[in-house]
Amino acid sequence: MSPTGEGEENTVARAEPMRLTLQVNGTVHDVIAEPSDTLLDVLHDRLGLGEVRYGCGEGVCGTCTVLLDGEPVSACLMLALQAEGRELTTLSGLVALGGEPGAEMHPLQECFLEEGALQCGFCTPGLVLAAYSLVERVGGEPSEEEIRYELVGNLCRCTGYTKVVQAVRRYAGSKAGPK
Amino acid sequence: MVAVPFAYRRAESFEEAVSLLAEHGEDAKLLAGGQSLVAMMNLRLARPTLLVDLNPIGSPPPSVVGGQVRIPALTRHKTLADPRASFGAPLLSVAARHVGNVRVRARGTIGGSLAHADPTAELAAACLALGGTVSVLGPGGTRELLVDELLVPYSTTALEPDEVITGVTVPVHVAGRTGFGFHEMVRRSSDLAIVAVAAHVELAEAGGTIATARVAVAGVGERVVLAPAELTEGLRGMPAGEADAEGLGRALAAGLRPSGDVHASGEYRRRLVSVLTRRALGDALGRTPTREVAA
Amino acid sequence: MTLTPDVVAPEHLPVEAMDVVGRRLVHHDFVEKVKGSLAYAADWQLPGMLFGRVVRAQVPSARLVSIDVEAARGVPGVAAVLTAADVPHNSIVEVASGGLGEAEVPMPVLAGERVRYVGEPIAVIAATSLQAADEAAELVTVDYEDLPGVYDVDAALESGAPLVHESGNVLVNWRIACGDVAAGFGEAEEIVEAEYRSQRVEHAYLEPEAGVAYIDNGVLTLRVATQVIEHAGTIARILNLPMNRVRVIATYMGGGFGGKEDMTVEPYIALLAWYTRRPVKMVWDRQESLVASTKRHPFVMRYRTGVKRDGTITAWEADIVGDAGAYPCLSPRVLFAAAACACGPYRVPNAAITAKAVFTNQVPTSAFRGFGAMQVTLAYEGQMDLVAERLGLSAAEVRERNFVAKGDLLPTGELLETAVHVSDTLRVALAEAGEPPRPSSPGLLTGRGVACNRQPYGRTRWFRDRASAWMTLEADGTLLIRSGITDLGGGQAASLCQIAAEVLGVPLEAISVHIGDSALNPPAGGTYATRQLYMSGNAALKAATELKDQLAPVAAEMLDIAVGDVSFRNGRVGLDEPSAPFLTVPELVAACSARGVSTTVLSTFEAPSASFDPRSGQGSTFPDYTYGTHVADVEIDRETGEVRVLRYVACHDVGRAINPLRVEGQVQGGVMQGLGYALTEEIVIEDGVPQSMLFADYLVPTALDFPDVEVCLIESGEGKGPLGARGIGEPAIGPVAAAIAAAVHQAVGLHPLRTPMTPERVLALIDQADGGRATAGAGPTSTTKKEQEKT
Repeated sequence: MSPTGEGEENTVARAEPMRLTLQVNGTVHDVIAEPSDTLLDVLHDRLGLGEVRYGCGEGVCGTCTVLLDGEPVSACLMLALQAEGRELTTLSGLVALGGEPGAEMHPLQECFLEEGALQCGFCTPGLVLAAYSLVERVGGEPSEEEIRYELVGNLCRCTGYTKVVQAVRRYAGSKAGPK
Repeated sequence: MVAVPFAYRRAESFEEAVSLLAEHGEDAKLLAGGQSLVAMMNLRLARPTLLVDLNPIGSPPPSVVGGQVRIPALTRHKTLADPRASFGAPLLSVAARHVGNVRVRARGTIGGSLAHADPTAELAAACLALGGTVSVLGPGGTRELLVDELLVPYSTTALEPDEVITGVTVPVHVAGRTGFGFHEMVRRSSDLAIVAVAAHVELAEAGGTIATARVAVAGVGERVVLAPAELTEGLRGMPAGEADAEGLGRALAAGLRPSGDVHASGEYRRRLVSVLTRRALGDALGRTPTREVAA
Repeated sequence: MTLTPDVVAPEHLPVEAMDVVGRRLVHHDFVEKVKGSLAYAADWQLPGMLFGRVVRAQVPSARLVSIDVEAARGVPGVAAVLTAADVPHNSIVEVASGGLGEAEVPMPVLAGERVRYVGEPIAVIAATSLQAADEAAELVTVDYEDLPGVYDVDAALESGAPLVHESGNVLVNWRIACGDVAAGFGEAEEIVEAEYRSQRVEHAYLEPEAGVAYIDNGVLTLRVATQVIEHAGTIARILNLPMNRVRVIATYMGGGFGGKEDMTVEPYIALLAWYTRRPVKMVWDRQESLVASTKRHPFVMRYRTGVKRDGTITAWEADIVGDAGAYPCLSPRVLFAAAACACGPYRVPNAAITAKAVFTNQVPTSAFRGFGAMQVTLAYEGQMDLVAERLGLSAAEVRERNFVAKGDLLPTGELLETAVHVSDTLRVALAEAGEPPRPSSPGLLTGRGVACNRQPYGRTRWFRDRASAWMTLEADGTLLIRSGITDLGGGQAASLCQIAAEVLGVPLEAISVHIGDSALNPPAGGTYATRQLYMSGNAALKAATELKDQLAPVAAEMLDIAVGDVSFRNGRVGLDEPSAPFLTVPELVAACSARGVSTTVLSTFEAPSASFDPRSGQGSTFPDYTYGTHVADVEIDRETGEVRVLRYVACHDVGRAINPLRVEGQVQGGVMQGLGYALTEEIVIEDGVPQSMLFADYLVPTALDFPDVEVCLIESGEGKGPLGARGIGEPAIGPVAAAIAAAVHQAVGLHPLRTPMTPERVLALIDQADGGRATAGAGPTSTTKKEQEKT
């Protein structure tokens, strides 16, 4: 199944590297990518964003979750070329979207810490981004059922979901302000 | 594992996509949401030499024209599933809420889902129950196909290698006149259906007798299937309250020979068909629901 | 965390409060993890790094006639394609129980002559890109000559069965016995017996197996996701290198659960780096991990229990067979734990227990949270439920009548030396659960299940376990902890900090912990067997205490107080009075430095050792146990068999909760993994061939599948860990399947005997129960010993 050979005469169908511009966490990056490079490959291996993680390559586990124009997508199921011209946010960019000036982390991340909503931490970036997007979209306090429905695609194997749901509720509650 | 190398082209129009397909033949594949195709490529289960990305074409919102809801092929599942959406096909909304997870719904498209023709697809079941059609563009122009004609066994479709689905059309929901139901059994939340049943009923007039009834079942074989007409046509002319949903479920199940897999045996699936058909058709007959789906 | 004082006797109320230990604290690792900045094994890149890939067998049992790697070697970018012939010492011999009973069966690093399971490594490739490595892997052609295989333990034990290894299909056969079983059954007024079967499951840590190997100053160095840095010795042996020339650095792991206890990528990246002299990274595909990483043993458990009419146990027989797959790995130990815990937390005067590990032509099974002691819970708690039903007793009554107590003897003849508050856990869990559920509609059945367990922590005593910790107070008053401990994500490193902070009064923020390095850290043993809090926690407590004792005389001299009055709290050293003069830690360190008193201490904690006689089945086994009770409420759709968990309460005596936040997380996570085991998860292999390799098909529970897990902790203060703590890493997964089975039993009227309790199996039970009810009027009703499902 070598890619070379039969495609030779057909210049259009050759897998040529392409130059693309990615906007990630407010910074513009110029990258050379092959068509087969997934967004995950480029973010993790090329741009060094360790928080975007390979977990399954099927879009099932959620460890490669990033925000594409504010909504969660699986970076393993998008080609890097498809992200051109879009706004990408990974976990390390979240603090810029709502943290206090100079803060180390976003208030939602603080809530994960305070509730102890993690153990190994491998799933945490995906869970935080998915939860952030939900609260932004709902614009108020999502119900427990809504939170669980939204997070269904972000698997956690260490700590279950009890504390994660608590953390998201705490954040949404604090964002909505005192009642 | 990583995908076998391939070339990539963006299509700015369906016409351009068709001409790229015509030029490159069967080794070219269309990329819509990519939620199945890219996963298969990552696992080297699919090895196209050219990917034609349809996403630049974009998608206007669904629209209602002459009693029909027209849904552009690149409509994302999230648009259909949005609880605030009211584009006139609530059965599609309910079904879309059952598709995958938030990331799958953010990218996946109705056209891509129908073209992928997974035998467990919820949206295909809903489209079939609604008697939906697809618009297909090829080098020779556009043709219309019933979704029932589109789907052929073993995850394939009646599409020619150089054809692309451009839209889906289903009848508009009329409160009091049309009713629907959707029931699904999954082994784990958000997963592919073990069995899903979509039912749609249209009354001759509000409070009147049944004009049409359709039941579609996913998860029972090589494609999503429609209950045989001889079963559902028996309901025609009957007051909704007198239709025997349970009997129909039993008869439908009796005619199916689903195969088993790691999640459920064929025999268990057959029982689910009976139970879920009764529930879905019961919902369709009993009311014109607009309920939220508990996922 | 809840404690219900009116349910727990006052002497079991919490241990006295401390400054740091017992508080819900957030540690260094949590901060890095929540920011996404912690580097895992796959996040490591080096100049010139190659990408490794394993080529695996596609057939379950065959002679390897030939392997052709020429085409693979010709792929541009491929730096090495290695096969069995390239492995200097192609044989790993695990003697997992220390040679007490098992056959010595070698496992090749790369199969050379014989393939024994689908997924067995047969070649390794290193290339400049993953594309090239994948392409080369597809070009490796293997010529197999199929051989007959065995694909389940029943077939493997038949006479004349094809042999997985020449030494036979039985790897180990443990026996534990006490009293006179025949007499015990003679004395019994009721006997219940049943056969329970559990399935093969996958750890499914979110972080796939990964590592990078490179040569650093002549030392083969691996930075890898592993629970056990001591594999450095095995790697050295495979490559015929001196043991001190291989260094393993364990990264913080994205979960392990026992699945990173055996080697995963290590031998392959070591070989490739050594041959190519370049750094090599390997990350297993998730699908590869599902097919080829070690699994939990499926068990067949035949149980027979004799009781008096009041429920008192008189005799107990258990015959346990675990499917080891194709190679030994840690099976001898797993089956030993199964045997040692086969009777659960119950007093059994007459017992006969056997536990075998049997080879089959399937992926090897090995360590997985619960480690044999977990699978048997389904059986021993199933027996208690059947006894309760037979005698018309409640689940609580029959258990209360038989619980072990401190001072009792286990069937091995060893004495329970510490507090046993399993009865308190039962009462607390039931009180917390409140009113049992009622069906919310006629199509639903509801039930409540109760299950208790006894799970060991620490290695068996004959291993003479030890762990070291090294602590240094720096000139600025910060504390440096070095330990060979590995961290799976459960906060293993953090707990050491919390203990040291308590003893030395140094704020947590001023502690830095360096872990998991086989060259630079004192050995701590691996992180498995729920041993690290016990072992390294005690080592840390010992080191901190010795360091304090070393410094106290200097402080006493400077402050002119008695050595015994020197207290270390909140960064102040001196009398424990607010107004008293004190030294800051930097001042004390400076004073020590001036006097030539060292501010560094290396301490080793040695677990008390003892021996076990495998012939008599008597002797000493585990250091101690953790006890608990879970209560599950379920609702079942009587038409589809779907089980919905309505409520879940878990209560354990953790001795002392070092960090309640982490303990609750461990319990909640253990329960969630247990619920997957009980209801959804299974690796299906038919005739040796995996039936699915997709992660989509392996049903790890999601946020929507199960309700909150309510955690109740009892702190008896009598564990053998530091400050009275007990291990909790493994215990919380133990009772889950049994609690769900009991709840299904109550809802349906028949006891499930097989996991996972899929909707289909539950529906079959409902049918069977309906059938039983339908025919009940037709003739004399008889309660047979086996009226349960036999599928």
